[in-house]
Amino acid sequence: MNEYVIEMKNIVKTFGEVQAVKHGEFTLRRGEIHSLIGENGAGKSTMMKLLYGMYPINSGSIVINGENITKLDPKIAISHGVGMVHQEFMLVSDLTVLENVILGFEPKKGIGIDYEKAKRDAQQYIDQYNMEIQLDKKVSQISVGEAQRVEIIKTLMRGVEIIILDEPTAVLTPQETRKLFEILGNLKAEGKSLVFISHKLNEVMEISDRITVMRQGEYMGTVDKDKTTPLDLTKRMIGREVFLNIDKTYSKIGSTILEVKDAWIPSPKETSKIRGISLHVNEGEIVGVAGIDGNGQSELVEAITGLRRVEKGNILLNGKDITNMSPRKIRDTGLAHIPEDRNTRGLNRGISIENNLIAVQIDESSFNKGIVLDTVAQDKYAAQLVKDFDIRPTDYKTLTSSLSGGNAQKVVVAREVSMKKKLLIASQPTRGVDIGAIEAIRNTLEKAKKDGAGVLLISAELEEIISLSDRIIVMHEGKITGELPAGEANENNLGLLMMGGMTDTSEAGKGAVTL
Amino acid sequence: MDLFGNLGKIFNASLIYATFRASTPIIFAALCAAITQQANILNIGTEGIMLVGAFTAVAVSYTTGSWILGVLAAMMGGACIAMIMAVGHIKYNSEICAIGMGINLFAIAITKFLMNVIFHTNGTFSDPGIIAIPRVHIPFLDNIPVLDTLLNNWCFTEWFVIIFIIVLQYIFYKTVWGLRLRAVGQFPMAAQAAGINVNAMKYQAMLISGLIGGLAGAHLSLGYSTQFVENMTNSRGFMGVAAMYFGGANPVLTAVGCLLFGFADSVGARLQAYGFPAQFVLLMPYLVTVLVLAVSMAIKLNAAKKRESSLIVHGTR
Amino acid sequence: MKQSVKGLVKILFTLVLSLAIGAVFILAIGESPLVAYGALLKGAFGTKLGLGTTLAGFTPLMVTAIAFAVAAQAGAFNVGVEGEVILGGITAAYIGVNWGFLPAPLLYLACFLGAMLVAAAWALIPAVLKAYYQVSEVCVTILMNTVALYIASYLVSGPMSAGTANPQSDPVLVTLPAIMKPSSANAGIFIAIIAVIVVIFMLYKTRWGYKIRTVGTNPEHAQYVGINAKKTFIYAMLLSGMLGGLAGCIEVLGVHGYYLDGFAKDLGTNGMLAALIVKSNMITTPFMAFFLAVLKSGAMAMQQSTGVPKAIVDTISAVFIIVATMEFVIQIKGRHNKKQKAAVITGHPMPEQEKPETSKKEE
Repeated sequence: MNEYVIEMKNIVKTFGEVQAVKHGEFTLRRGEIHSLIGENGAGKSTMMKLLYGMYPINSGSIVINGENITKLDPKIAISHGVGMVHQEFMLVSDLTVLENVILGFEPKKGIGIDYEKAKRDAQQYIDQYNMEIQLDKKVSQISVGEAQRVEIIKTLMRGVEIIILDEPTAVLTPQETRKLFEILGNLKAEGKSLVFISHKLNEVMEISDRITVMRQGEYMGTVDKDKTTPLDLTKRMIGREVFLNIDKTYSKIGSTILEVKDAWIPSPKETSKIRGISLHVNEGEIVGVAGIDGNGQSELVEAITGLRRVEKGNILLNGKDITNMSPRKIRDTGLAHIPEDRNTRGLNRGISIENNLIAVQIDESSFNKGIVLDTVAQDKYAAQLVKDFDIRPTDYKTLTSSLSGGNAQKVVVAREVSMKKKLLIASQPTRGVDIGAIEAIRNTLEKAKKDGAGVLLISAELEEIISLSDRIIVMHEGKITGELPAGEANENNLGLLMMGGMTDTSEAGKGAVTL
Repeated sequence: MDLFGNLGKIFNASLIYATFRASTPIIFAALCAAITQQANILNIGTEGIMLVGAFTAVAVSYTTGSWILGVLAAMMGGACIAMIMAVGHIKYNSEICAIGMGINLFAIAITKFLMNVIFHTNGTFSDPGIIAIPRVHIPFLDNIPVLDTLLNNWCFTEWFVIIFIIVLQYIFYKTVWGLRLRAVGQFPMAAQAAGINVNAMKYQAMLISGLIGGLAGAHLSLGYSTQFVENMTNSRGFMGVAAMYFGGANPVLTAVGCLLFGFADSVGARLQAYGFPAQFVLLMPYLVTVLVLAVSMAIKLNAAKKRESSLIVHGTR
Repeated sequence: MKQSVKGLVKILFTLVLSLAIGAVFILAIGESPLVAYGALLKGAFGTKLGLGTTLAGFTPLMVTAIAFAVAAQAGAFNVGVEGEVILGGITAAYIGVNWGFLPAPLLYLACFLGAMLVAAAWALIPAVLKAYYQVSEVCVTILMNTVALYIASYLVSGPMSAGTANPQSDPVLVTLPAIMKPSSANAGIFIAIIAVIVVIFMLYKTRWGYKIRTVGTNPEHAQYVGINAKKTFIYAMLLSGMLGGLAGCIEVLGVHGYYLDGFAKDLGTNGMLAALIVKSNMITTPFMAFFLAVLKSGAMAMQQSTGVPKAIVDTISAVFIIVATMEFVIQIKGRHNKKQKAAVITGHPMPEQEKPETSKKEE
């Protein structure tokens, strides 16, 4: 019998022009917890989705239990004993928990579904792993932690021996994370083999037997947990000290440009609702907002930029109350905004680079001649920006949908930064872009600050936050859990705050508690 | 003539059957739309599927002398048309409204063309040779006054539609297929992750929708009437789609929406006899549907807003 | 540029395919497709009457097609053009019959403005319901078409009736001069052409057009760059409604001279058809409208001289649209690889990030 239950060799996967996995390797032993780590965009999730048959591989081989698998889809993967708990839960919110659990593997009675048997079976697993799940509730009514347990039960009900967990802790509170780890421990004790995808080193060091590192679609090696250190792993994961070399300048801090006063902001997700937040940004400084994705950062940005309504409290820009004003008026008051999602929001992919560059200035008299758009002035402006920001291809009539991630993001940055507004909000400005573009974009932010703008930088990358910010605010479940000068910040104390540490963790985040 | 003096003649027991009779073609159409809606496909082509069914039913019933063959052929015809739509939408990414409208126009044109070619006539084809779907005569009701009016001599397919509503309700909410269909419609990625072949489910839904749409047409041309008229569906397919919206693709609620149309239709016909402008009654169901759509969406949005609010603390978390 | 060449190739391919399917039908009934299509062309262009009929049919079709297309540019699927034509027509008839106190030039103006205003107000209803309550405009406009039909039908058979056997209004006091007697082609064609050019110009050369197109391609992006997506959507629908009203007015003043119940039958639908075939491309939409007008007007001559029923023409246009909506990859030698890549991209719209874009809880 083979030592490994899973062997993935020389995996390549591209989506269109994008190489998500350039060279992937992965093995899994029976009864181990194997962590797969890497930064956002390193290809970890893609690797595991390939294993689960969500997409076909371009080349390489996948061997499950010694059998070389050529054709793979989720159904076949499950029949080979592979189950996956996705980062975005694969639960239908209008169906009940029980219906979700049995979906695809429904026990039958005559032509109907045998709900009684389904319930008995599910309850058996729930009891065995001590999981707290309410089977009759609709998924839309349960908490994130419970939804995740539902996902685990779902895989167990299908009789799988191998469970892939894709960033399971990203959405969990510390207590829920503890609970999850207990469950994972139980599963391991039962002889299940687990894959744990994460980019959090402390968790990985706590729970793994072995660790595989990926970086930018490449396999960076596999190590035993006992034979490695967090520092070693970090080097393998990041491996680009170059970014820390940005010359951080301390420019003169000017007057307050943005002030958020006790703002209450709605969200479809409970953990992202903001119940009273206050912060300020001054001219000439970069304020970094750190936090795990989905803890209210996006909602905060949308509220400031006029894209989400504020239910209570005030937002002042340049001394003027802009609460619940239209995005247009807020921009006119002095805002530039690099949004977190360039594909749906930042760019109109169906039109040219040029049209995207002038999108926010379409009503300006400098781009109009009477009622007609002044194409000559637009061409000139676009040519200048394409040159200044080194956007490729240089033909500004090219459709933005054909640009690489880095160049697409440069278009957004060029448009927003070149207007020299007093406040610049940059949300995940370097997510999913190549190394060269990351450096260029970071330098641009640094320059905006030097020119006197106040910058609010939201990023899930701690290293980015630390290397750019003057002051760092940490958010957790819609609240600020701490604020500290960049000089005092490090991965450890920020990480702790991001997990909701330092404040009263037992009750924090529950209910409407004003800070 | 005093309109109000005649209210008793307008609103009497026979109105109930008249309402139901006028509703049945729409109910079939609405169920045709409901099944694809469960898979998140808006079946704008219902009208066309139904029209092809109506023509096929008449043509086959006339040539073979069998209404059963007519109905079966109509269902096959409806399924063929639905599959054109399914392939276009699922395989070739056709915008569903665009191809649905194309199907509707195609149905009008091709039935007109075939009527010209096969029956050498324009406008209407009626002939004693068309064998209608039989009516169910219940002898012992003959002498019971109200029940006789209400229940006797229903067309076979009118009884069938009641059973069919219940069967579909059961299929949607109690069977494996129904559960998978709803999952595919609401969150295809989740369905795929659960090992369900999403496209296969969509094709199946479209196929069955075509069969039902064909039946709807057959009922219209062999049950509701016994003839084929150019564009005889006359927006009944669209009404079905609207009723399906009204009922949120739930078969029972959808049927209730259809009864509303049928009611306005039969009241309108009676009012017209008394000199009341029929147009106003006839347009009521359309206006009501627009209102209902607007109000139900407003309620939905408001509920979502409440759920998202940061000011309200929810019990579960 | 390459994009438009590809589009053109596809349309030609689709055209040939649908004509071929039409030919199969014609062969099936024992006639010659070549003779039939020849008769069709001759009917549409061969005589002054034929050409005039073609142009008369083309006039409203071009306007309704652009009406549909302009709404589509903002992301709306406006099936309601037909209802807008009807209400525009009845308004023009009402003003044209009853406002005789105005001097003729002003009466013309009043007819057109009134028709466009009423039709725009009608389009406002589905526009607002969609923008603010997310009610499907497809459904609402289909329903409202029937409502419009009944309202107009009531008016011409009741209060506005001329007392004739057919439900129709009294003759209007001003009419558009005929240009190719004895056909019903009239000066309305010039108004239509001007209107279409103005709309196309507005859409591609002005900032309002830019905003409409942005909202149509990516409403979230529009909102983010400071365009009010809801209002812009409503404006586009209003414009679409105005064009529908214009078409109705031209028909009443130019073709009939009075309001005739059912005059607008299929005007909106055929306009939509023309626009849909070319995916609402504003430039090619009028040409497609012309092509459909040729088919329609030649069909009668074809039926008379060959025995091929004119319904074949509607069949061909319907096949045309069905095929045109499909996105298949046309294999052209040498470019094989590139095309395949394109197909892969559309098959798996995954961004470069790891996370799938779909969110878990869509309400």
